[in-house]
Amino acid sequence: MQRTHRWRYLLPGLVVVGVAVAGLLTSGAAVSQAATPPAGAKALHSASSAMTGPITYDLPPSSYVAPGQTLFEQNCASCHGVDASGTDRAPNLQGLGPATVDFWVSTGRMPLADANAQPARKPPRFNRTETLQIVAFVNSLAPTAPDYPSGIPNVDVSAGDIVEGNSLFVLNCAGCHTITGAGDALSNGFFAPSLHKAKARQVVEAIRTGPTQMPHFGPHNLTDKQVADIVAYVTGPIQHPSNQGGLGLGGIGPVAEGFIGLLFGVGGLMLVAFWLGDRK
Amino acid sequence: MTDDNLTSGASGGAAESGHADGDRGGLPLTSFDDPHLQPFAKNPRRAEALIGLVLLVGLAGFCAYGGLYWVGGQPQWEGVFFGVGLFAFGFGMSAWGKYLLPQGPFEEERHPFASTEPEVQAMAAAIEERGRIVFRRRGLLGTILGAGAGVMGIVLAFPLLRSLGPQPKKSLDTTNWTKGIQLVDLDERPIHQADLEVGGSLTVFPKGFAGTSVNQTMLIRPGPTDQDIVTKPGRETWGPRGYLAYSKLCTHAGCPVGLYEQTLQKLLCPCHQSLFSVLTGANPVFGPAPRPLPQLPLMIDGQGFLRAQGPYSEPVGPGFWERS
Amino acid sequence: MTTSTSPTSAGASRTGARGGAKKPDPVVAGVRWIDERLGVAKGGRVLLDKIFPDHWSFLLGEIALYSFVVLIATGVFLSLYFVPSANELIYHGVYAPLRGARVSAAFASTVDLSFKVRSGLVIRQMHHWAADVFVGAIAVHMCRIFFTGAFRKPRELNWMIGVTLLTLALANGFLGYSLPDDLVSGTGLRIMFSIVLSVPVVGTYLATFLFGGNFPGDGSIIPRLFIIHVLVLPAVIGGLIAAHLGLLVRQKHTQFPGHGRTEKNVVGSPMYPTFIFKTTGFLFVTAGVLWALGGLAQINPIWQFGQYEPYKISYAVQPDWYMGWLDGALRIMPPWSFHAFGHTIPFVVTFPAVIFPGLCFTLFYAWPSLEAKLSGDRAEHNLLDRPRDKPRRTAVGVAALAFFFTLFAASSTDVLANYFEVSLNEVLWFFRFAVFVVPAVAGFFAYYLCREMSGVPGIGRRKRAVVITRSPEGEYESIPTDPRPGDSPAELDPTPVPVRIELDEPEPVGAGIPGVRRIPRRQ
Repeated sequence: MQRTHRWRYLLPGLVVVGVAVAGLLTSGAAVSQAATPPAGAKALHSASSAMTGPITYDLPPSSYVAPGQTLFEQNCASCHGVDASGTDRAPNLQGLGPATVDFWVSTGRMPLADANAQPARKPPRFNRTETLQIVAFVNSLAPTAPDYPSGIPNVDVSAGDIVEGNSLFVLNCAGCHTITGAGDALSNGFFAPSLHKAKARQVVEAIRTGPTQMPHFGPHNLTDKQVADIVAYVTGPIQHPSNQGGLGLGGIGPVAEGFIGLLFGVGGLMLVAFWLGDRK
Repeated sequence: MTDDNLTSGASGGAAESGHADGDRGGLPLTSFDDPHLQPFAKNPRRAEALIGLVLLVGLAGFCAYGGLYWVGGQPQWEGVFFGVGLFAFGFGMSAWGKYLLPQGPFEEERHPFASTEPEVQAMAAAIEERGRIVFRRRGLLGTILGAGAGVMGIVLAFPLLRSLGPQPKKSLDTTNWTKGIQLVDLDERPIHQADLEVGGSLTVFPKGFAGTSVNQTMLIRPGPTDQDIVTKPGRETWGPRGYLAYSKLCTHAGCPVGLYEQTLQKLLCPCHQSLFSVLTGANPVFGPAPRPLPQLPLMIDGQGFLRAQGPYSEPVGPGFWERS
Repeated sequence: MTTSTSPTSAGASRTGARGGAKKPDPVVAGVRWIDERLGVAKGGRVLLDKIFPDHWSFLLGEIALYSFVVLIATGVFLSLYFVPSANELIYHGVYAPLRGARVSAAFASTVDLSFKVRSGLVIRQMHHWAADVFVGAIAVHMCRIFFTGAFRKPRELNWMIGVTLLTLALANGFLGYSLPDDLVSGTGLRIMFSIVLSVPVVGTYLATFLFGGNFPGDGSIIPRLFIIHVLVLPAVIGGLIAAHLGLLVRQKHTQFPGHGRTEKNVVGSPMYPTFIFKTTGFLFVTAGVLWALGGLAQINPIWQFGQYEPYKISYAVQPDWYMGWLDGALRIMPPWSFHAFGHTIPFVVTFPAVIFPGLCFTLFYAWPSLEAKLSGDRAEHNLLDRPRDKPRRTAVGVAALAFFFTLFAASSTDVLANYFEVSLNEVLWFFRFAVFVVPAVAGFFAYYLCREMSGVPGIGRRKRAVVITRSPEGEYESIPTDPRPGDSPAELDPTPVPVRIELDEPEPVGAGIPGVRRIPRRQ
């Protein structure tokens, strides 16, 4: 045997494990954006006082229509047309209802960044008041079609039952968004997005308006109570998962687990073997 | 196996067998100064100190885990304490073995373990000749014995396999969908034609069979709501008022085809990404599925509730030998 | 204290009374006690002297072995809590989103084990990580055996035992993670049912026999998987491991060529004490890594998945990593199905899931005789090859690895498409071609790399520094430098394990003389 080993060879196992432990010590809980009350929320008034239950649908005040028109002409009309009736670049927005517009604008998907890909969530360009102004304007152009909500949903998350929501989420949502809400690729370049940043209101809007490839769940398919249950589950266990086992590894299951197991488990132990054994 | 070391020890000398108290029978002796017996570490004292430190870390880890356990435990800290403890303990032990124990190298001889040719021949002859004595002019007996063993083997497979469960019979070919049966959701609530918006989807079952595997069906509404959808010739009445229903069991490997892409009008199976075109009878357009999803013929009754016109026209789910 | 140094001591005869004043050595007494009953003193010493070569790549099998030890230990713990039953009950445990839900006893007991039992979650996760590492270590160890030619005569039998161990490890892992009856593993069971269905003639019978009816069956699949997973397969695996190690002891370990190493000896560390210390330490290192993973990295959080129902599904449902090659094969297979004379062979499932793995394992089993036939080399080998010295075998091995790696990657088409924001359809088509192109390219490069490397003089040895000088006329000259003192010290010749070691220090000089300070002898 040669006495050419340096002392650094004594430590690689400890170093690797130290780095791994330091890296893995970070908690696995996904952090969701705190739901701060939007600045313009107080401006909403109830669209229909006959609606009872955990979700109410509210409209922005009519004073928002005029500033909304200005914003629309500056930011949206070039693709959607000044009267939002659509061009060959963008669809007709008339009759889609306030919830649809609020979803697309408040998630930052509109204004569109890349016309060749499915619109993705990004930091919204407009604040809450401006968003509601744009909503008010588009809403003023035509009556809302009956299969779209008549107002912007305001959901009482505490009224939702996470056990029911769990069951509904698995049956209706997990097939595209995955069981942990991590999102995944659909066919032909489309994808189901991650749910980890969705606000409660936006979850209702997506369910009720069916954006892009997402199915359109009306009130006779999923009642408002059921939607509130799903919202409670998404804003609860999906966005704040019980990751008691440690680092969540992205919530995509065995692909990440296999990677970690082979890299740190087998790889780490191979490094120790490399230290322990001879090189010849 | 011969014991080489007794005859080729470093100091030579014949060994004496026989018992002796304390002096181990006068066996060949190696001096402790022999370079092979020296530790591998260039600085053994430093190695000893470091190894001691590592073993102390191990000890501390064990104690920490023990303490944590008694105050209730917490998975991540349990993992750190006992994991570091075990690792350091083992690492120290390995380091002791590598750096402080005799560095060697030592050797032993490989003795050919194959027997000599006459021994091999003798063994083969023993098997063959004695075997021939058994069967010498008793061939019929051997045949009967062999037949018995063979049949025993076959028959033993019966309880091992057949007793496990029922024969498939018709269970793979049929579902509980019958003529006129109502469509219900998971809570056994009947589905009305006004329930789904255009672009909506719902998992449905025949009434009385909610939650059963073979009956699971995807109800979707590509729309428009005032038109019937004709997916294939002969299915003119199967898609009333913009509704379509397909078996949710993928024809590839049986996963529930739960992804409805409502703009593309496709059903995507999440397991192996088979893609079915909804408006043309769930024809597979991409991925490994070999056959379309069977379509359930729908109708709307007098009160507006959805019912099945009859059962599926073919077996649902993945392929199997008897599927005609 | 004096020592006896003469080989011809005249000790008193043993039997009968102990006349001497010396106390009987307890170790001798103990050895004698056992030997008089089992006769193991002579053979036992041979065992203690057994030599284990020290190359680091010989420790890879130990990673697998010690992962298995961890699996048994943690598995026993888990089996004290797990309820192997598909009977439904209402969950009333700690995890709020499931309270009041109908779940199976298997699922509920696994969730309770994770949340209610102290250290239960760590040990459960450790068990699962150990299974992933077990199969990974077997694969890495198998590669080492393959690329160094350790499977050649006389070790073909051991190779076949090893391939069998790989198969059983894969199977037992699949059965194990299907036990909790959660949404993700239940989907895997549905696929397994369909795979059994796809077998011609007998498939439908086997499937309904095993599950107790058409999927999901009458619930008996869970207890059946359980008993196979905790009793039948571990017993077979344990027995085969014993045979594997027994053959290793009998045939002795192989070694790389080097100083003092021949086909007729083994050079390394003796079993006792050196190897036992190193290997036991490695056992605890393995256990430590697995325990740390079990506490720090979450794996298989079944409470997030929920109870399996045959009409529920999640996206991004891959099997555990070692089944990925089969899942990838299922995904990329073209949709061919044969239908004639009233019967169907769903080739799209039968080939990737039944025929293809059968072909692979047949090839693995047959490789030693295949290589012996192709190379004409039927000699006995105890010295290993450097991979670069056998370019064709190495190229085949690299191509095979690249092939399986591509299949593994093909199992995560949807995850890759999502992560890299590429169309899912394009990703799938890419893999349909990659599975042929990548192994060919990798094998090609491996072959020529090996040829290049084996042609380089002095490869693998430490290079000495060379001084380049330039003469005034512009001529360059390279002068090898003299070896430096620490560069390549003379290696010691291997020597047999000493029978007896003079441990006691001789009478130090100056002992007993007052005023003389004894300087301790450096060890």
